[in-house]
Amino acid sequence: MSSAEQHTQKKLVKTLKTSSKLKKIMAWYFIKGKIYSKLPWKKVAWSVSGFPTEFLWTYDVYPFLPENCATIAAARHKSQELIEYAEACGYSRDLCSYMKTNIGAYDKKLPAQFGGLEKPDIMVCTNTICDTHVKWFQIQSRKLNVPLFQWDIPAYVSGSDEKVMNRYIDYVQDQFWEFTDFMYDHTGKKFNQKKFIKTINKADELAVLWHELFEYRKKIPAPLGYADTLGDVFPMFALVGERSGRGVNFYQELVNEVKEAAKVGKGVVDEEKYRLLFEGIPFWYKIKFFHQLANFGAVVTYEPYTYSFGARRKIIDNDIEKSLREMAKTLIHTPYFYNLETRMEYFKKTIEEYKIDGVILHNNLSCRPSTTGMADLKNYIQEELGKPVLLLTCDMNDPRAFSEAPMQTRLESFIELLEAQK
Amino acid sequence: MNNIIAIFDSSHDAPEEIIMAAGKIPYKILGDVHTSTTPADQYLFETFCPAARSFLTEALSSSENWDGIVAAHGCDATHRHFDIWKKHVKIPFLHYVNNPFSRVSKSSRKFYKIELQTLIQALEEQYSVQITTEKLKHAISISNQVKSLLQKLGKLRESKDIPNREYFEICKKAVQEDKADLISELQQTLEIWKDRPTFPKGYAKIMLTGSDVTFPEFMDILEKAKLRVVRDDLSIGERYYAALIPDFDDPIDAIIEYQYLIPRPSTKHPSNPRLDYIFEAYFESKVDGILSQNLKFCEDYAYDSVWLSDTFKEKGIPSIHLERDFIAEDQQLFTRLEAFRELLKTQEALK
Ligand code: SF4
Ligand code: SF4
Repeated sequence: MSSAEQHTQKKLVKTLKTSSKLKKIMAWYFIKGKIYSKLPWKKVAWSVSGFPTEFLWTYDVYPFLPENCATIAAARHKSQELIEYAEACGYSRDLCSYMKTNIGAYDKKLPAQFGGLEKPDIMVCTNTICDTHVKWFQIQSRKLNVPLFQWDIPAYVSGSDEKVMNRYIDYVQDQFWEFTDFMYDHTGKKFNQKKFIKTINKADELAVLWHELFEYRKKIPAPLGYADTLGDVFPMFALVGERSGRGVNFYQELVNEVKEAAKVGKGVVDEEKYRLLFEGIPFWYKIKFFHQLANFGAVVTYEPYTYSFGARRKIIDNDIEKSLREMAKTLIHTPYFYNLETRMEYFKKTIEEYKIDGVILHNNLSCRPSTTGMADLKNYIQEELGKPVLLLTCDMNDPRAFSEAPMQTRLESFIELLEAQK
Repeated sequence: MNNIIAIFDSSHDAPEEIIMAAGKIPYKILGDVHTSTTPADQYLFETFCPAARSFLTEALSSSENWDGIVAAHGCDATHRHFDIWKKHVKIPFLHYVNNPFSRVSKSSRKFYKIELQTLIQALEEQYSVQITTEKLKHAISISNQVKSLLQKLGKLRESKDIPNREYFEICKKAVQEDKADLISELQQTLEIWKDRPTFPKGYAKIMLTGSDVTFPEFMDILEKAKLRVVRDDLSIGERYYAALIPDFDDPIDAIIEYQYLIPRPSTKHPSNPRLDYIFEAYFESKVDGILSQNLKFCEDYAYDSVWLSDTFKEKGIPSIHLERDFIAEDQQLFTRLEAFRELLKTQEALK
C-alpha cells in the first residue's frame, strides 16, 4: 500500500455535532422548492452566486441555486455522467463543470437529492464573478423559455479608487430598480419596502453569525475547519433572509458549539500542527481530500470562497437608497473576486490574522476567472510573505481532472515543506 | 513615443474615435501567432485564451513604442487580465473603460456615457489636450469614411475574386493604422478589387462567425480548403464596419449608439441579436454554409456554439462548429474544413 493510500484510509477529521443538523434543513429547503414550483401562485427562481438571494426572499420567491445543486450531484458521484452528457450535446471539455452538471441534471430530471432542480418562473444572474453565469443562464432561459434578468456589475479592476467605486455604485443601484420592475412584470409582485427591510435585517443576522464563526477560526487550535464550513455555508447562499429563521437558529447553535470548543481549547484535529488557507472551490466529489489533511495535523482555517458568501448587506438609517449604495459595494467588491492588488493585500492580512502556515491554491480548470492572477499570487505568498504554496491543478466538479496518486504525492511534499519551515 | 495608443479589448469595444480626437492613433493589439507566448505564460496559465496571452506578450515586448494603453471590458479575459497588465506592462498611461455587458438595461447607456466621459478626462489630463465636440465629430467622420469604404470592399467578396487573406489584411489595417492616411489606400484598393475577375469556380461561399480571428494564417487555411469568407460578423471584419456611427448632436451618444448597432458579439447580453445578424447575412448573400468556430478556451463563444449549431440544424442551414488553436498551420483543422467543403458540394449538387 502506498503512503498516499495509507493516508486516505485513515480516520477522517471530526466534524461538529451541530453540522449534522444541516441535512434536515436542506431536506426542508428542497421540499419547500418542490411545493413552490407546484403551486401556481408561488414563484420559483434560478439564481447564481454573487446575486443577492435575499432580494428574492423579499418577494417570497424561492431561490434554486444550480451551482449548489451541482455540488450535490458531485458529492453524490453523479457529476461525471452529467458533464459527459453535456459534452455530448456539444459543450466543450474546457467549459465550467457546474454549468455542464446543471445541463445534465435538468435534462435528465434528476431528483433534488442528486442535484436536480425544478423549472423556474424566472432566472436572475450577474456577471460579477464570471461571464459563465450569464452565458449559462442565457442558454437555459432560452431552452426553458423563462425570462432572465441580468444584473450588470462592473469589474473593479486593480488601481480603481473611490471615485470609480461611486460611479459603479450608481449603475448597480439604478439596476436595483430595474430588478424590481422585472419582478413586477414577471411575478406580478410589487416591491414592498417594509418586507425588504425585514428580509435584509434577517439576512444580516445570518451574516453576522457566519462572520462570528470565522472569528473563532483564528484561535489555536482552530475549533472549526473547512470540513465543516464547506457544508455549513449552505444557509449562507440559500437561506439568506429566509423567514422561518432555520438558518439563523442553525448558525446560532454552531456558534455556541464552536465557542464552547474554543473555551476548552478543543481543535478539529487532535494535534494541530499546520494551519492552512485554501483558495478556490473544493473538489466536491473528493471532499475526503480535505478531511484527510487531519492525518498530517493540518487544518484549513480560512477559505475566501465560503467567507465571501457572508457579505453583509445592511439597512442603514432605514433609508433604502443609502442602504442600496452600501449593498452595491458588496456586489462589486468581495474577497472571492477581489482584483489582484486587493487580493494580495487581503491575503497578507488574512495570513497574519489566521496565523496561516501554508496556502493551497486551486488552479481550477473549470474556472478561469478565479484562477486569473494566481501565478502572481503564488509568487507573492512565497516570496513576499515567505509561506509555502501548493498549487493544485484540478476541477471542482469533474472527477476526471483528479488524479489520486500525484495529488497525494504533491500534498505530502507540501507537508514536508511546512515541516521544514516550522 | 510615436503617438500610438494601444487598445486591449475583446471584440470591438474600445472607442477609437475618442483616442483619435486626443490626437492619437488607436492601434488594436492582436498579438502574433508566430511568437511564443512564454513571456505571458509566466502570469497566465496555459489554460487561458491563447489570443489574450499573445496580446499580453505583445504588450510586454512593445509597450515602449506606445504612448499608452486603453483597455475596454469585453470578456472575462479583458477585465481579469487587466490586473496583470497593470502589474507587469510598463506604460505611462493605462486606462480601463468599463463598457457595460448589458445591452438591455436602461441604465447601461447612462453608465456607458459616464465611462466614456471619464476616458476623455483621463486622456485630456495625461496628454494636456482638449477633446472638443468638433474634434470628436471630425474623428467620427474619418472613422465613418473608413467604415463606408470597408462596406464596399466587403460587399465585393460575394461577386469578385478576393482571397480571404486580402480581405483580412485590409480590415486589420483599419484597426491598427492611422485612419486618415488609410482612406486613399482603401479607395485605390476598391478600384482594384472592382476590376478583379468574378468569384472563382470551385470555391464555396461561407459566413464566418465565432471568436475573433486575429491572424491571417487562419484565413489561408480556409482558402486552402476552398472556402471563401463572403460574410462574417467578426471584429476584424463586419462587426467593425457594418454600422456607421450616427450623426447625433452629442458625439458621445453617437459612439454609444454605434456600439448598440454593431453585430452583437457573444460577450454582450443578450446575445440573441448575434443570431439575427447571422441569419440576415446568410439569406441576403446566399452563402453556401456557415462556419462557426471558437478559439480554444474562448468561453463566451464556446457557450453560444451549441445554441447556434442547433438553430442552424433546425433551419436546415449547412453549418459546422469547430474549436481551433492559436497556431499558424493546422492540418487537423484543414481536414475538417475540407470535409465541410465536401458537404457543401454535395448539398449544392442536390439543389
Ligand atoms: S466555477 Fe467559476 S466559471 Fe463556473 S460558475 Fe463558478 S465562478 Fe463561474
Ligand atoms: S478570443 Fe474569446 S476569450 Fe479570447 S479575448 Fe477574445 S473573446 Fe476573450
